[in-house]
Amino acid sequence: MTARVVAMAARRTGGALLAACVILAVLPAVLELSSYTHNQLTLLFITISGALAWNWMGGFVGQVSFGHAAMFGVGGFVAGRLMLSLHLPPPVCWVGGAAAASIFALGGHPLLRLRGPYFSIATIGVGEASRVIFTYWERFTGGSSGLSLPIDADLKYRLYWWALVLAGCMAAASVAIRRSSFGLKLLAIKADADAAADVGISATFYQDLIFVLSAAVIGLSSGLYASYQSYIEPADMFGFERSIAFVLMAVIGGVGTALGPVLGAVVFVLVRLYLLSSRPDLYLGLYGGLLILIILFEPLGLTGLYRRGQRWVRRASGQAPGGAP
Amino acid sequence: MTLLATRGLTKRFGGLCALDGVDLELGEREILGVIGPNGAGKTTLFSLIAGSIRPTSGEIVLDGQRVTGRPAHLCVRAGIVRTHQIVRPFGNLTVFENVLVAAMHLRRTAASHARDRAAEVLDFVGLADRRGQYPATLTLAGRKRLELARALSTGPRVLLLDEVVAGINPTEALAFTALIRRVRDERGISVIMTEHVMPAVMSLSDRIFVLDRGKPIAQGTPQEVVANPLVVTAYLGTSAGEGAAP
Amino acid sequence: MARLVDMLVSAVLLAGLYATMAYGLGLIYGVLRVVNLAHGGVIMAGAYLSWYLHEQLGLDPYLSIPVVFGASFALGVVLYQGLVRRLPRGAAGGPASLLLLFGVWLVLRNIAYLLFTGNDQVLRTAASSQSVAVLGSHVAVNRLVVLGIAAAIGVLLHLLLRRTQVGRAIRAVAQNADSCTLVGIDVNRIYALSFGIGTGLAGVAGVLLATIFSFNPSSGSSELLKSFVVVVLGGLGSIYGVALAALIVAVVEVFAIYVLPSYLTAAVGFILLVLVLVLRPGGLFGQRVLS
Repeated sequence: MTARVVAMAARRTGGALLAACVILAVLPAVLELSSYTHNQLTLLFITISGALAWNWMGGFVGQVSFGHAAMFGVGGFVAGRLMLSLHLPPPVCWVGGAAAASIFALGGHPLLRLRGPYFSIATIGVGEASRVIFTYWERFTGGSSGLSLPIDADLKYRLYWWALVLAGCMAAASVAIRRSSFGLKLLAIKADADAAADVGISATFYQDLIFVLSAAVIGLSSGLYASYQSYIEPADMFGFERSIAFVLMAVIGGVGTALGPVLGAVVFVLVRLYLLSSRPDLYLGLYGGLLILIILFEPLGLTGLYRRGQRWVRRASGQAPGGAP
Repeated sequence: MTLLATRGLTKRFGGLCALDGVDLELGEREILGVIGPNGAGKTTLFSLIAGSIRPTSGEIVLDGQRVTGRPAHLCVRAGIVRTHQIVRPFGNLTVFENVLVAAMHLRRTAASHARDRAAEVLDFVGLADRRGQYPATLTLAGRKRLELARALSTGPRVLLLDEVVAGINPTEALAFTALIRRVRDERGISVIMTEHVMPAVMSLSDRIFVLDRGKPIAQGTPQEVVANPLVVTAYLGTSAGEGAAP
Repeated sequence: MARLVDMLVSAVLLAGLYATMAYGLGLIYGVLRVVNLAHGGVIMAGAYLSWYLHEQLGLDPYLSIPVVFGASFALGVVLYQGLVRRLPRGAAGGPASLLLLFGVWLVLRNIAYLLFTGNDQVLRTAASSQSVAVLGSHVAVNRLVVLGIAAAIGVLLHLLLRRTQVGRAIRAVAQNADSCTLVGIDVNRIYALSFGIGTGLAGVAGVLLATIFSFNPSSGSSELLKSFVVVVLGGLGSIYGVALAALIVAVVEVFAIYVLPSYLTAAVGFILLVLVLVLRPGGLFGQRVLS
């Protein structure tokens, strides 16, 4: 692919993203959404940011984390605490949450030296340990009772646009990273970290970098979540279900693709809404079943299905298929 | 003019001494062949120079600068790069991307400059027509060329070739040999190569360095080394010139 | 001093359980190079199965071991043939196998939750309430039995791998699967067998666990972590290495629980992991765990 083709494709995607964001931004005014729909969309945007951030680690550089809830919890509670105890304006608190999550990630640096499965198992441990420790740390998280934040209906309404901006920026960043030299290096590290070092790429540096970036975004989205919920508790923020959710969204949408997690988040949120109302006791099994089916039949999830469809159309119309399998 | 030198390079793995006091010199525009029976320490030597592992003691000096103990990616920045005995292409990247990512290691490299370099290198090794394909679709010889291209793409001054001709058919091996000669002649890169395929090593090397059980036992021109009784004995009486390494 | 002896005795008894857990994970990893993320789920399933047999049929848990082994073995073979086998070659150990088996774990959890609710369960037998004096400290009989059974399992496993045809084939495949096809070994059958034995051992470990600790459908992460730590520490080469590593892990855990505030005991598994990685990243027997 020549540089010009790449740039054109990037501009097309960028344009599409911008258009989508603009449409979504004026949607509430144009369609007069019910407050339920308005809020669900806010939550969706927050969720999308998180899913994209997880994918940077799990998909781009290949470090599958089953414990991302740890960073989510840290970010959210720091943001919540800043609001409660220091009465700082919410955006400042959100950035505080992002910073806290990033520092937490830096502390997890030794974990990054682990190869694939070892890293993943370690993250299970991180998630569990965090949940236990932070549930106990009552002075910080309020223990099992959690934290109640001042309710601000006006902020909750405007969160829609805050979250939209975040999601839009994350989507753009995902595309940009994936197509940049940074993204290429990450993919090389994912394929073979040692061989990458042998051609001059410092695996440690890039893994640290993407870990911190992922953490910052998770922390940011968690801060918004805290403002949205006005009540946060460790069981939810640090819970295993939350960690699973990140994994599932990326896998459904397409692990390693730039925008797959956006699709995955949408599908996931819809599935969960449906499940909550009809069969709440089946959600684990359904998530597990989905994971199994996707991994076996279409590892790139919805994005993979979409690409298959594209190739089928191209072949049916007589054109030669593209270069990538 | 010495480009790369090792002084007293030693590596111990627990009780095993893989390399013992190796003094080696590589000049500019020179191909140095490193040979020796299995277990002689050739791959260990490579790993040490390329930064994959750290020496127990000794020094590695590149162009007057001490590079001892630098990790692999920093060795590449300094100008030393290696290929692998068993090729390790990035399976999830195309042939072009494999070479491109290696050209990007200098953080200040402009993207277009890296692309140009990658394209040129692919052309050099003869893989230009396969740039959009994935490594899995290449033959072994193709993947070895890719490995070489990737290494060249980093812009090295010293290239370490680890049994690069092993396992490919004689026609391909001959083409590869010519390619290596061009690396030295056209690109001015010095090469250290280790090989079991004797004809290749003998015909390519300006000088040969012989290792046996971690110790250097001889060096000189190919003719000198072949005639050296110590070398012959090290190979258990097999004449090195007949390409019958164990 | 008496406390110290108490703790050491505790640790030795616990080590048996940990070794049995680790064998299952280690066998699958050693032969297929796959980290069985469903390991904790199978342990949990084994615990529930023996509990169920005890509740419904009055079957003594120790007698249920062959049954649970059989069921878990069958589960493993089905998982392998139906799922793991379909992974692309070279995906072993990669994200695909991790996610797949993680999905299986979730399904197992849900099934247990549906069948038995989320409440803690415990298996009480005559052995649970009796105790015996060992080296001056009072030891529950059930823990002693667990150690005995674990030791027997270790011996059986050793005999299987070293003295039988099948065992030799398993070890050969673990070393070099490609060469095995050249000498007529049905590698796929060995993979299925190994996976089955691995899950079978996990199921049995679940029975042992049930006789000592309470459990619920969410159980498993801590068991997975500890098994993993033992495998990393002990290596894949020898049964005795694993047994020794299990002992070390148990000792560290017992002392950690003594030293740490109570809320951290649930995090002990993870703390052990951190310790192992920091102190002995190459494992006791030097496998490459780190990049």
